[in-house]
Amino acid sequence: MHEQLARRQFLTGFGATAFAALAGENPAAAPHFKPTAKSVIYLHMSGGPSQLDLFDPKPQLKKHQGQDLPGSIRMGQRITGMTSGQSTLPVASSLFSFAKQGQSGMEMSEIIPWHHKIADEICLVRSVHTEAINHDPAITFIQTGFQQPGRPSIGSWVSYGLGSENKNLPGFVVMISQKSAINTDQPLFSRLWSAGFLPSSYQGVKFRAGSDPVLYLNDPDGMDTEVRRGILDLNTKLNQMRAGVVGDPEIETRIAQYEMAFKMQTSVPELMDLSKENEATFAMYGPEAKKPGSFAQQCLLARRLVERGVRFVQLYNRGWDQHNDLPRDIQLQARATDQASAALVIDLKQRGLLKDTLVVWGGEFGRTVYCQGRLTETNYGRDHHPRCFSMWMAGGGIKPGTVIGETDDYSYNIVKDAVHVHDIQATLLHCLGVDHTKLTYKFQGRHFRLTDVHGSVVKAALA
Amino acid sequence: MPVLLLLTFVTGMLAAPKPVDFLREVRPILSDACFQCHGPDETTRMAKLRLDQKESAVPKASMILERVTETRGPRKMPPRHAKVQLSESQVATLKRWVQEGAPWQEHWSYVAPKKLAPPSSAAKKWAKGAIDQFVLARLEQDKLAPSAEADRTTLLRRLSLDLTGLPPTPAELDAFLTDRSPQAYEKQVDRLLASPRYGEKMALHWLDLARYADTHGYHIDSHRDMWPWRDWVIGAFNRNMRYDQFTVWQLAGDLLPNATREQKLASGFNRNHVINYEGGAIPEEYQTEYVIDRVETTGTAWLGLTVGCARCHDHKYDPIQQKDFYRMFAFFNNIAEKGLDGQKGNAAPVLKLPNELQATLEREMEEAIAGREKQMKEADVPGKMLEWEKGRLEQLAAPARAELLAHYEMEGNFNEATGTYRHGRYLGQPPAGNGGAVGQSAVLDAPARIEVPMPEALDGNKPFSVAFWFRGGNKLEPMTIWSQKTNGAGIEVGNDEVFSIGDLRRGAHLLVTLTDARGARRVYESLEAFPYNEFTHFVLNHEGEGRFALLLNGKPAAMRESGSQERIAFANRGPMVFQQMIGSLDELRIYGRVLSESEAHQLAVVEPVRYLLFHSGINRDKAQMDLLREYYLTYDAPEELKALHKRLKQLKAERKQLEEQVPSAMVMSELDRPRESYLLRRGQYDQKGEKVEAGTPGFLPPMPAELPRNRLGLAQWLTAKDHPLTARVAVNRAWAMFFGTGLVKTVEDFGSQGELPSHPELLDWMAVDFVESGWDLKRLNKEIVMSATYRQSSAMRPELKEKDPENRLLARMSRFRLQAELVRDNALAVSGLLHPEIGGKSVSPYQPPGLWEEVAYGAQFSAQRYVQSTGKDLYRRGMYSFWKRTLPPAGLAIFDAPDREKCVARRAVTNTPLQALALMNDVTYLEAARKLAERTLKEGGAEEQKRLRYLFRLATSRYPDANELKLLTASVKEMKARYGANPLAAAKLIQVGESKVEHRNAVELAAWMSVASAVLNLDEVVTKE
Repeated sequence: MHEQLARRQFLTGFGATAFAALAGENPAAAPHFKPTAKSVIYLHMSGGPSQLDLFDPKPQLKKHQGQDLPGSIRMGQRITGMTSGQSTLPVASSLFSFAKQGQSGMEMSEIIPWHHKIADEICLVRSVHTEAINHDPAITFIQTGFQQPGRPSIGSWVSYGLGSENKNLPGFVVMISQKSAINTDQPLFSRLWSAGFLPSSYQGVKFRAGSDPVLYLNDPDGMDTEVRRGILDLNTKLNQMRAGVVGDPEIETRIAQYEMAFKMQTSVPELMDLSKENEATFAMYGPEAKKPGSFAQQCLLARRLVERGVRFVQLYNRGWDQHNDLPRDIQLQARATDQASAALVIDLKQRGLLKDTLVVWGGEFGRTVYCQGRLTETNYGRDHHPRCFSMWMAGGGIKPGTVIGETDDYSYNIVKDAVHVHDIQATLLHCLGVDHTKLTYKFQGRHFRLTDVHGSVVKAALA
Repeated sequence: MPVLLLLTFVTGMLAAPKPVDFLREVRPILSDACFQCHGPDETTRMAKLRLDQKESAVPKASMILERVTETRGPRKMPPRHAKVQLSESQVATLKRWVQEGAPWQEHWSYVAPKKLAPPSSAAKKWAKGAIDQFVLARLEQDKLAPSAEADRTTLLRRLSLDLTGLPPTPAELDAFLTDRSPQAYEKQVDRLLASPRYGEKMALHWLDLARYADTHGYHIDSHRDMWPWRDWVIGAFNRNMRYDQFTVWQLAGDLLPNATREQKLASGFNRNHVINYEGGAIPEEYQTEYVIDRVETTGTAWLGLTVGCARCHDHKYDPIQQKDFYRMFAFFNNIAEKGLDGQKGNAAPVLKLPNELQATLEREMEEAIAGREKQMKEADVPGKMLEWEKGRLEQLAAPARAELLAHYEMEGNFNEATGTYRHGRYLGQPPAGNGGAVGQSAVLDAPARIEVPMPEALDGNKPFSVAFWFRGGNKLEPMTIWSQKTNGAGIEVGNDEVFSIGDLRRGAHLLVTLTDARGARRVYESLEAFPYNEFTHFVLNHEGEGRFALLLNGKPAAMRESGSQERIAFANRGPMVFQQMIGSLDELRIYGRVLSESEAHQLAVVEPVRYLLFHSGINRDKAQMDLLREYYLTYDAPEELKALHKRLKQLKAERKQLEEQVPSAMVMSELDRPRESYLLRRGQYDQKGEKVEAGTPGFLPPMPAELPRNRLGLAQWLTAKDHPLTARVAVNRAWAMFFGTGLVKTVEDFGSQGELPSHPELLDWMAVDFVESGWDLKRLNKEIVMSATYRQSSAMRPELKEKDPENRLLARMSRFRLQAELVRDNALAVSGLLHPEIGGKSVSPYQPPGLWEEVAYGAQFSAQRYVQSTGKDLYRRGMYSFWKRTLPPAGLAIFDAPDREKCVARRAVTNTPLQALALMNDVTYLEAARKLAERTLKEGGAEEQKRLRYLFRLATSRYPDANELKLLTASVKEMKARYGANPLAAAKLIQVGESKVEHRNAVELAAWMSVASAVLNLDEVVTKE
């Protein structure tokens, strides 16, 4: 393996061609073992959705409403600068009711009714935990395996390890949708989809709503396809002549890149063109599915991308940081994402794609049981909570209709089957047939991995 | 063509197998596969076996061999689960090593370099100096011949790009091509080394190491000003500052005795790291990260060591103990900095950099202000105000009630206060009440719907007036504050796009839009902007027949009209609606007549005071007390005091204005009492271990006792003559800049896991020579570019493709793509668009819209919204592009520019379709193609062939050959035909970019622009050959 990787590093590394990453050539000889998923769609809910109001029911908390969080539960753990100054940490039970769903009897909140329909498809992990308590380090951690900037993102690791199966589309695509909540959303950073120390050809390519879905894709006004082709032909012929003189294979690569750019000018618009999707599909993804840039439309596009062999699709939905007015804002966020998230799973299944596609849903941390700000009968806020939160996975070798992990009565500490962020990452790679301890890249003398020196595959989540 | 070298001199006899080279062959295997568990890190060392030291490793050599030849079972090494496994050839190497008696050498880079005499060789004639002698000797080992010198055109292009980052002009080329003197090349070298562009080019590489950027990074990523430091770096290279001095100033300029402003500014190097201001983050955690970043950056930039690995535990491969790391940490831990900072631009400590005039003005102003403040204090304003407040309320006029149709006070509701009209309605939860201009205000933080019924139609034929307070919220887009319409016809009041004034203040213009039933519109826009994040009072007087007059805070403010020239008829009784507004609203009054200036003044200035005096029972907060004091001193105080107040206010405003003009930079500055430093277990800020004192790593030469134990001492230790790393690392980096790859490929890692030098003796020779020369960088660079090695052709020879595909042996010059900034600079230069200004604030060139906004935080902070520059600032060199760390300049990032969140010692060079798209369609390159076409048509003569030769030479420095010319000619013909058939398309195409179109014939220009674009996209154009 080591030599194989070294070879791959040479092939794609500094100064050499990095055609592989985007052109879909697979620089690795093979995955480490038989994969159960070919592609990943990762729905990141930026800001930290409240597990207490979505996936982790604690009906008994009503009894403790307004009481200070017992010291025996908090155990002196650090809390953010936003609530560390509060004189009390009053328990806020969820305003929403939970009920068992599907044959699996998975309990979910009333505000995500569409999720109820996929209870038997997903594996819900109620016991994910992280190490960071603020957005920047936490989102960097869950997306790159390390809290500080500088490491490659999950998608970059995957493209580096496995390449793409479509030669006309990038292997790692990123889409961002904006908040529906009313309060401010948290920022994102290009480091979340950056290649870190891997060659930058492995970074995520953003697909955006509007006329230029990929940066600089469109020819300018007044340049039709014939002119573009004419320019490219001239360019190619001149490049070939130069290659004949200087003999640099890099020129051949550049010629190929221009051809691929030209193909992308067709393949990307074809991908973004939803006119051939039928009304039933739009209806399934919900009322916003026809709105460019909406989370719903991006879910639909994600399906189209994996259909075409794109390896890793990363969606970010902003607006889950509900420090105050949580009941109002979480419902707005849920309304904008619930149906499309569920529809994606259902749609993939209907098309026979779910078995090869791993769908991951979750934020960078959870939220506290105690209220931030004023607690009233109808309103509360919740601060960041790293010690437990809920994520779900579906398809691609994941065991459907399963619940993993349990939290204590306050959804504060994990009492059973803790799953660390690195474990989620290890599991994701595992489904792709990649051993997370073996996918390494030598940088600054160290063989770096996505999971640093940690992580183990969550076996219970596997089918 | 390769030189036919004198390989016959190389003995052809079959040599006995070469003895194993421990450093090159064996140590890397041990390091990579064994040190993890049997290396310097004591805590994870297995079986008490240490293989990085001679005493413990050599005696165990046979045992090592035995274990690595096991194929299974617990005795197999490395164990099955280890991520690094040995190949058969590696095992064979170990076997040879053991058979030869396990010879041992210390790791090369920990011992001081020696200057060995350059090897003499039979091919001496080729060699121009020591560099070539070393290179040649190595080539001869592999029986390779160097390549012939590149032709002069290629040479000058290479040299110009390497030393200045810009291509040669045709005139410069001609001068060189016709210069027959033996010093012709050297003259060019000297000319380019003396160019002010040289400093820019050298700085470009240094900025990556220094992680220079224009924003703070991390979460909020608002703007900072470190460009004065960047400009200092450019200047330092241009003045050819000695590298040891360059080092000392940047690491410890502030600690030099009687440090000058320049020395302090240089210390900004270690403030270029990212700084966090995420709400709720723990300051200590981030202050620790800043210090760690400084240690790591210093490690990479000067030591070429990955010291960061010792943050959490002893280094696995190099003998850097965790304690060493925290001893280094202690050097950088004493800065008067805050863990969370940067919300208002630069984070403390900051150095102000006024010019002489500004400094004088500042001093004078301070004195003037201090004097008047003293007088003010002596005047006992609080005492006077106590007297004043008695009975003042009764004298203050109440707001006019004549023809007041409705008044909504916004005290937590929308109730109508005159009692003569209907209350307003809020559909949904009532908005939060909050401190307003007068009492409470209504705060809307989301689209909502408030309806205020109209007592009478707002009628285009009748006078009326609407008065209200407004303060904008967290929204930057143009917005409607209120509208009063029926079926789309009526009046709408809002603001245009919000802009920043300095770091925290914002402004916008008021827009009044009238629309009639046919959809005709007229817009009235205030010429003056109003402060967006403070309460502003508006009186909108309608004098009749569509004539509006605006009063801002009680004072008349001019409006500009645009849109339909016809009269817009409007009149309806629909409710006034607040729907899309985000912000705060207070005291809405509707009058059936216009208000006079004094009435507006009463509402805007007097009423808030009257309210406070009326509610004298409430505890006044500071803002309220200030409001009263301001009113008293402006209107009611004795004349002298009023005058004093007026002058003081004016002075303070001037000082503020001056402050905003004075640039500043973040610098290092020591705390009076150093912070205590501890070993941090697992590298965690809150896991303090033993206390440590500042010091250097134990395995490197000790720090002389006479050096101070601070950053200055550290810098002096680093620049000591016999330091094993500093000069080697610097020389290697210079080499990499020219050849694409360093003599040590891993320019950032000279440690155990780094690659060994391809030419160790050459590296050492150059390092010692560099120090002996007085750390003279220009001399070093000159030595490299004067060498025959550098001057070789870069053409690939078939035998080299096989034997040395990475060109580590240098039998030819390396050929590689320009770095991101130079791809841009080159296109701008050849098209004539490049603006030559050096330094200054960073600029915002073309960038596809929305890239910042879709990830940014919001309106409270700076650098969240991309405001494109105009005019010359669109055409500055790439290195001046505003570098936002969470979204670096898109056009540069595509070409492997780093995000600058961390120190980067070498960039990747990739070749991707996204780069092709950028060169094809980024406005930058399309506009450059147009200008190149225009330039060609203007300057390139009248004949087509001549023109094509001119164009091609501008872009590539050389003339096209006959075949190339044939293709180009055919292409011009084709494009002319295409655009001739579609002149409309031609007219559209040439509109790209903001520069003026200077060629009259659109079809001709479009055709030539297409060809120019094809040429600018050539591999050769973006490559240094």
